[in-house]
Amino acid sequence: MTAARRRAGRETLVAWLFLIPALLAFAYFKFLPMVEGIQLSFYKVNFGGQNTWVGWDNFRTVVNDPDFRAALVHTLINGVSVAVLSAVIALLVALALQGSRRSVFFVRSAIFLPAITSVAIVAEIFKLLYYPSATGPLNIVLGWFGVPAQPFFSSPDTALGSLVGMQVWKAVPYDAAIFIAGLATISKDLYEAAAIDGASRWHRFLNVTVPGLAPTFTIILTLAIIRGFRVFTEVYATTGGGPAGSTDVVMTRIYKLGFETFDYGLASAASTLMFIVTAVLTAIYLTWSRRKA
Amino acid sequence: MTSKVARPALSLAVLTAALALPALTGVAHAQGTGTPLKVWTRSVGTQQDAYKAIGKAYQTKTGQAIEFTFASTDFEQRFARAIASGDLPDVVVNDTAQLGNLLSLGVLSQVDRNKVVGNKDIVAAAWKSAQGVDGKYYGVPSSTQVFELYIRKDWRTKLRLPLPRTWDDVSKMALAFTTKDPDGNGKNDTYGMVIPGSTTRGYASWFLSTFIWQAGGDFVQPAANNTFRATLDTPAVATAVKYVRSFICTKTAQPNAINAVTSDTAPSFYTGQAGLYLTGPYQIGTFDKELGKDKYEIVSFPKGPANSDALAEGENSYIMKSSKQQQNALAFASFLASPEGQKIGMTYAADGIVVRLPINGKVNAATVRNDPRWASIQAVYAKNGHTVPNVPNWTPIRLLTGEGFNRILSRCDSNVEQELGTINTALKAELDKQKVLAK
Repeated sequence: MTAARRRAGRETLVAWLFLIPALLAFAYFKFLPMVEGIQLSFYKVNFGGQNTWVGWDNFRTVVNDPDFRAALVHTLINGVSVAVLSAVIALLVALALQGSRRSVFFVRSAIFLPAITSVAIVAEIFKLLYYPSATGPLNIVLGWFGVPAQPFFSSPDTALGSLVGMQVWKAVPYDAAIFIAGLATISKDLYEAAAIDGASRWHRFLNVTVPGLAPTFTIILTLAIIRGFRVFTEVYATTGGGPAGSTDVVMTRIYKLGFETFDYGLASAASTLMFIVTAVLTAIYLTWSRRKA
Repeated sequence: MTSKVARPALSLAVLTAALALPALTGVAHAQGTGTPLKVWTRSVGTQQDAYKAIGKAYQTKTGQAIEFTFASTDFEQRFARAIASGDLPDVVVNDTAQLGNLLSLGVLSQVDRNKVVGNKDIVAAAWKSAQGVDGKYYGVPSSTQVFELYIRKDWRTKLRLPLPRTWDDVSKMALAFTTKDPDGNGKNDTYGMVIPGSTTRGYASWFLSTFIWQAGGDFVQPAANNTFRATLDTPAVATAVKYVRSFICTKTAQPNAINAVTSDTAPSFYTGQAGLYLTGPYQIGTFDKELGKDKYEIVSFPKGPANSDALAEGENSYIMKSSKQQQNALAFASFLASPEGQKIGMTYAADGIVVRLPINGKVNAATVRNDPRWASIQAVYAKNGHTVPNVPNWTPIRLLTGEGFNRILSRCDSNVEQELGTINTALKAELDKQKVLAK
């Protein structure tokens, strides 16, 4: 018993030794700047001299800023829509592409391309696709179905939706790849047993596939929520937060505070709030999904 | 099973959420020593070659090498990073409108005008834009420019339209360019006015300023004791904003104008998407190359309801307080402002001019370039050039008005007066923050 415990202790020690280089790197490049960022939240940052302590002022300014609140709402709408829509579509794609046939293998590789394309390039492509006149590629397609030309990014009413569409296009392959991996872990025996019991295709999906994919859902939605909160390049490279602030998200606001007005204190306070919100939401979601399972 | 999945997921979540926090680090003072002199400029493509040529000429003259860092749209971001890490260069060549911003960051060295070699040759208007609200100088001028209307001459002559003389004429020309197929390709794919309407870097505000002044309005009005009143809620400003919005709402502006930044708008003009562009002479060389000199003409924007004012701005060489080479930095800034430095910047790369209008009275733009168009640009600058108000920090005002104007431009049915009232309130708050709001 004690020998076993000693061995376990030694294994833990070895594990920590292996972890140390990574932890040191993380500490230096992530945790220290983070702590410093939180610290800066309480100062009016003055680059030429001493920073001035302002207490909770920066947080108050951020919380009371209607533009920031609107940006938070946009971030939530954007994050949830992208997460749910891409998960649903990705699941359908994964169901169609599971298995090991050669043709499927090719399609599976090809369809993954959007996931590895740089966001900036995707943004440029979508600016072209979404060209808001009747001669725009997507509008030509819509025209075939009698839909009038859409303004896409150029109207406050459609910009956020168009942005969601672009992100879903990019996120689906990524989610689908995880789903395909998840589907492969579900035992074939379960499907066979269900089929023998007379379960229909739909019932097999509902009672075997969906429960079997529960951990996959957790991972995909958690990653999507985090991704959704950190959305920046997608917005900055397409609309810059406009028109009329309709696509302004938390990150574009922080960027403007930090890098356009150089108000590092305010930008840090906004970032700190963002960090807390993301951590809390993720924790709530994980607790909820754990209790459910 | 559940906790096995959830626990790594939780730590992953916390780690990744942590990434949401930008790495903002503290301030340390740079310890730059000796040669070479580090200079940052906002420039792209052949503009960078022009700066390198200036650097080489300076080195020949003084023996000191110049180490350039070039950036364009991400200039501010890189600059912010450099300030935060205490790794600033010796000299930064940047917009005159950035002076207040840089000053408020506390990174600028004061410049003794009398120590600038040839300081008397630098024109008064340029010196004024290197002045802080306290009347002291914080930069050495390097270049100026003024906004004018660039018109597709071939389109105009094809449609037999005279040069515009009023704001209304411009609207009519924009409509004709949109509807009468001026490029004759048989497709309905051309537009009138090119508008950079994005909030990014305050472009919408930057673009609208000429119209606001021409309509007789202004952002702020000076009051007693170096204070300012916010004056965006006037009928004149409303006239200007409505005029610009009319191009978007009649669809005579380029599509997606509301999100366009300047890297979108210049190609809109020279690739033949739209035929009217109010801008500075940064890209004359590019337009000459891509379009051809004979295809476009440059005129003052037709007189507005009140006057013919046009946005004038420029660039200064700012010397960083942290530089260990204050004398050398000033020497380089003086060289850039000297006839020799100015001439290289004007002519080294035809499509990458880093000195647009010379700030040195001994240099004549038209003769140096052997191009009479520059004589008229210089004349417009002298006669109608209008710089941004001399508030302590213009950048936050440009950004907040840019967002406000973008809001108005994005909806054709928005109540302009009411929206301007909202922007004016925000403007008052900003003036108050800068401690210059008139009581």
